[in-house]
Amino acid sequence: MQLKVDHVSKEFAVRGHAKVLKVLADVSLSVAEGELIVLLGPSGCGKSTLLNVVAGFLKPTLGQVLLDDTPVMKPDRRRTVVFQDYALFPWMTVQKNVEFGLKAQGVEPVERARIARDFLALVKLSGCEDRYPYEISGGMKQRAAIARALAPNPDILLMDEPFGALDAQTRVLMQEELARIVAEARRTVLFVTHSIEEAVFLADRIVVMSSHPGRIRSIHDVGLPRPRTPRTRSLPEFISLTQELWDSLKPQWRDDGVEARLQREN
Amino acid sequence: MQQNPESRVASFTLRLAPTAWRASGRYVRGLIGFAALLAVWEGLASAALINPVLLPSPTTLFWASGDLVRSGTLVRHVIASVERVLVGFALAALVGLLFGVVLGWFRTLSDFVKPLVEALRPIPPIAWTPLAILWFGVGNAPSYFLVFVGAVFPVFVSTFSAVRNIERTQINAALCLGATPAMLIRDILVPGALPVIFPGLRIALGVGWMCVVAAELIAAQSGLGYMIQQNRLLLQTQFVVTGMIVIGMIGFAMNALMTAIERRLVPWQESSKSSVNE
Repeated sequence: MQLKVDHVSKEFAVRGHAKVLKVLADVSLSVAEGELIVLLGPSGCGKSTLLNVVAGFLKPTLGQVLLDDTPVMKPDRRRTVVFQDYALFPWMTVQKNVEFGLKAQGVEPVERARIARDFLALVKLSGCEDRYPYEISGGMKQRAAIARALAPNPDILLMDEPFGALDAQTRVLMQEELARIVAEARRTVLFVTHSIEEAVFLADRIVVMSSHPGRIRSIHDVGLPRPRTPRTRSLPEFISLTQELWDSLKPQWRDDGVEARLQREN
Repeated sequence: MQQNPESRVASFTLRLAPTAWRASGRYVRGLIGFAALLAVWEGLASAALINPVLLPSPTTLFWASGDLVRSGTLVRHVIASVERVLVGFALAALVGLLFGVVLGWFRTLSDFVKPLVEALRPIPPIAWTPLAILWFGVGNAPSYFLVFVGAVFPVFVSTFSAVRNIERTQINAALCLGATPAMLIRDILVPGALPVIFPGLRIALGVGWMCVVAAELIAAQSGLGYMIQQNRLLLQTQFVVTGMIVIGMIGFAMNALMTAIERRLVPWQESSKSSVNE
């Protein structure tokens, strides 16, 4: 498996304006099999747009996304997505949610029930099969959404700020869970976040993006040992890389805040 | 939805228990409200503070309704009215769902039709009665038409907004999981729209029920509305009020039935409203 983002630009028409909004400018990136890549940047840097282009939800204005040298035209189960707001289907039980992608592939009911149970066990949701999403907590919802995205055996898992809606403690726990799940399931992951610590904790490589228009500013290899555990956070390398990223990103974060404030005032 | 209480997490059980207690308490309080009204009414009547010709006492009504039931009159009128409302409602549901889905989905098309609908919607169904009689004569047809006019808009509006407001991320989630077009409609769009459509259907049935009675006051030879009208002319107030009470009870029962069907078809909705968003 190889994913290539090849000189992708994305522009949006602005309602009531003649000019277009340039969200992504000439972004190129390749992801190797088994890698966990984090797209890191302030809001408005186009990282979620890039993920939506990779998923096939959006078409790039210029350039293309190649999965094993085939251009991505529309969403399919080789690139499944975990969304910030879970996007579980509220009318299906947790089990049926996880089975959805298998059902779409035409897997027999008995077989897909078995596979779904295995993935629910992987994300430690055994016993919650017959619950509806409204009956479980935010952290459990996101575990279910991860199981649902893994079940159809995608080439790459796309995660769009998946822990952004969780409280700080659950978020830390889910990061550790994700590190474990990805290691056990041996998956390639493209993960979007604006949290530096989250990026350093999870990533093999961190792609730092800057805004207006969104482009890749730098790429950092994270040399932290695997498996990543709670102890990882106290390693000197973890602390120094976090600090380094924060120092380099700080001016932009501050400018963004100012700019956002100015936009609100206008 | 069948669920074993033990299988729920503790916090959920805690949240459920007071809800069940509150619900039963609510029924009891509702019954007390009815009882209080009847007691005051009966008291005022027996103290001769109410003219029995203008408003008969509850006991008089009880015996009067017994007469109506025994003679078969009441059942006949009830069947006539219910049949009319069901036919009119079925037509309205069909047309409302169809147009709601089509116009909800095709935005440009809806630009042509939506203002038209919004202009027709405020005309009360009663105002259509003269036309209904002119067009359809006397019989069941004008009643079907008036029920249809009353019920079609709530169904249309709820279906339209249900289709419009389906969450984009859920469609995206289904697409990236490889959903086929058939699965997208059957497993995502329909169940996603049901929680919004169903209250619309429930309201439509209620409106239709009011319309059928109004139609029968003027344009029918049977039904509860007709029965009320006839007994007004004969100054048989006890049968007028009995008819009104039966209308109320049937409307109440239809609403309860629709709510029960809604709970059965949309089991994830009822409790999700009360659950806190984490």
